[in-house]
Amino acid sequence: MVNPLTYVFRRKVTEKFDFSDAELEALGSELKAEVNQVFGSSLAIRELDSGSDNSTEIEISNLGTPYYDVERFGISFVASPRHADVLLVTGAVTLNMAEAVIKTYEAMPSPKFVIAVGNDACDGGIYKGSYAVLGGVDKILPVDIKIPGNPPTPKEILRGIFALVKKASK
Amino acid sequence: MNSNQNIKSSLTLADPKLIDDCQLPMNPAIPATQYITNLLNDVSGKQPLIGKGKNNELYIPLGEEEFLKIMPVLSQKGFVLISLFCVQSFEGSSGFTLFYFFRRSGFTEVFAFIRHAKAKTTSIATIFPSACWYEREIRDGFGVEFTDAFDKRRLFLHEAYPEGFHPLLKSFKNGKIQAVENPREAYPFKQVDGEGVYQIPVGPVHAGIIEPGHFRFSVIGEPIFNLEIRLFYKHRGIEKLAEGKTPSACVPIAEAISGDETVANTVAFCTAVEKIAGIEIPARANHLRTILLEMERIYSHMGDLSGMITDIGFPRMTTPFLILRENIFRQNELLTGSRFMKDNIDIGGIKKDISGETLSKLSLYLETFAPKFESAVADVRASSSLIDRFSTTGVLKRDSLLHLILQVPLPERLELLMISGLTTHTESIEPSLRKERSGLQEMSFPALKLRLQKFRTQLSLYENS
Repeated sequence: MVNPLTYVFRRKVTEKFDFSDAELEALGSELKAEVNQVFGSSLAIRELDSGSDNSTEIEISNLGTPYYDVERFGISFVASPRHADVLLVTGAVTLNMAEAVIKTYEAMPSPKFVIAVGNDACDGGIYKGSYAVLGGVDKILPVDIKIPGNPPTPKEILRGIFALVKKASK
Repeated sequence: MNSNQNIKSSLTLADPKLIDDCQLPMNPAIPATQYITNLLNDVSGKQPLIGKGKNNELYIPLGEEEFLKIMPVLSQKGFVLISLFCVQSFEGSSGFTLFYFFRRSGFTEVFAFIRHAKAKTTSIATIFPSACWYEREIRDGFGVEFTDAFDKRRLFLHEAYPEGFHPLLKSFKNGKIQAVENPREAYPFKQVDGEGVYQIPVGPVHAGIIEPGHFRFSVIGEPIFNLEIRLFYKHRGIEKLAEGKTPSACVPIAEAISGDETVANTVAFCTAVEKIAGIEIPARANHLRTILLEMERIYSHMGDLSGMITDIGFPRMTTPFLILRENIFRQNELLTGSRFMKDNIDIGGIKKDISGETLSKLSLYLETFAPKFESAVADVRASSSLIDRFSTTGVLKRDSLLHLILQVPLPERLELLMISGLTTHTESIEPSLRKERSGLQEMSFPALKLRLQKFRTQLSLYENS
């Protein structure tokens, strides 16, 4: 029989990862404390691209990579809007996506929040004035927080999420 | 959509034997101009007036009669349609000018056949199926009808756009339009009938952190019988946005097409302007552009690799590639101040010089990149469950290649595709690549390694200078 204690004392399976970012860790632990209090320990985010240049999505998905690994802070990206607390929208809303954006928002249970990520989601950005876009996300949805940038860095996005959690607690 | 059902049988493809013959390089002693002149003379008895472009392209204006005669012959001779676009009032002419771009193995030149059209013209999609999307795009943009096209559905203009709206017409001034509310017509997806056949709609909003697209699977139990993809949910009107602007004002627009192609698209746009205007760029700017292009390619490769591994449900293997990818983003930031290297390329060269010191730091970093990459690849190779899942996934059939003239970005992607089994039928890709054929057990990444090698060589040139 295997002694269960060997599992406790054996070497960790996780690889050594020689990376540490004090600023990120501090932000993360503050965020985690807030998420625990405001959202019952887990904040579910649904990402929605409504017509960005894809760099913003790349930075958002980078939040899940080993350098950031935001699941540690109680944040998870969920597959369905029905599981989401927050809708993270990127891109100037295109005419072709407008209906899908509204349907996605409507599918979310209340209370729900919207964050616009990137210059184009904030006010249409470079696509402003094109026949094919409506402009910023606030043209069709109530936006709680705007995170500008072309694209914002993963840390800036995390700060924006933190700002939302703070706002939601009020 | 009834007309869609027998497309495959109605395609007037050349005899497969002919195509095979054509894949062998032609006698290079015959210049392209001579070849195409002879061909047109044989077909129509006329001598074309061939113009030469600045980038090794031949412009061949054709009358309607010759155009219709030459298209099936081009197909027989193994020409491949690489692009088709429309220009309104080109060089003062009335109506529309269509540019059909072809390549043919054995020639380095690109052949551009020029055809004039009024509001109605004919389709070549039964001869070159890859023309289908281009023609639908032109119809949406300019309202040119391809009267005998087998697929006349709209492409990038979805239901929200009113019928008869054609944004690329010069008469349309860019600005807000009245969108259709509650459109009645739904997009007619291809219907597959039969016992036990049902459709699964996916998207445009789907599970991951990913760009939108709609996938309509027609399945019979487990096997997928047909997949139809509908895209362009993100149509942002970029072409119209650039209309009437100065070339420099278009650089940020080219940059905004796609974030992970920032450098590639901007360099392509700037190179086009430079060729047209006859601008020579400094050698150093050219080298720096190459470095940035390679950085972009490397992080894209890392993303593709981790993406493919995620897609077969084995995320644990993706982490080393994701770490390397993040490292490259950070190197990009050190080099240019932007993780995506935005706002760096400009017409005439590059906006900010990169110091020799920064470049040597990059060189030092790359020394550590290669072994980590190799070790990640070794892990992939050693995982039998991973190989097991890849080996039967995404096999591309020779038949589809011929009908759709699928282009595989070569040769860099070949090795990556090989993991997924995409090129199990390597013989169908191109004869010159057959020698690179290898089984899964022998898979390797020589193309990427070669890139890294070249990259380092280039960097060491700077250090020495």
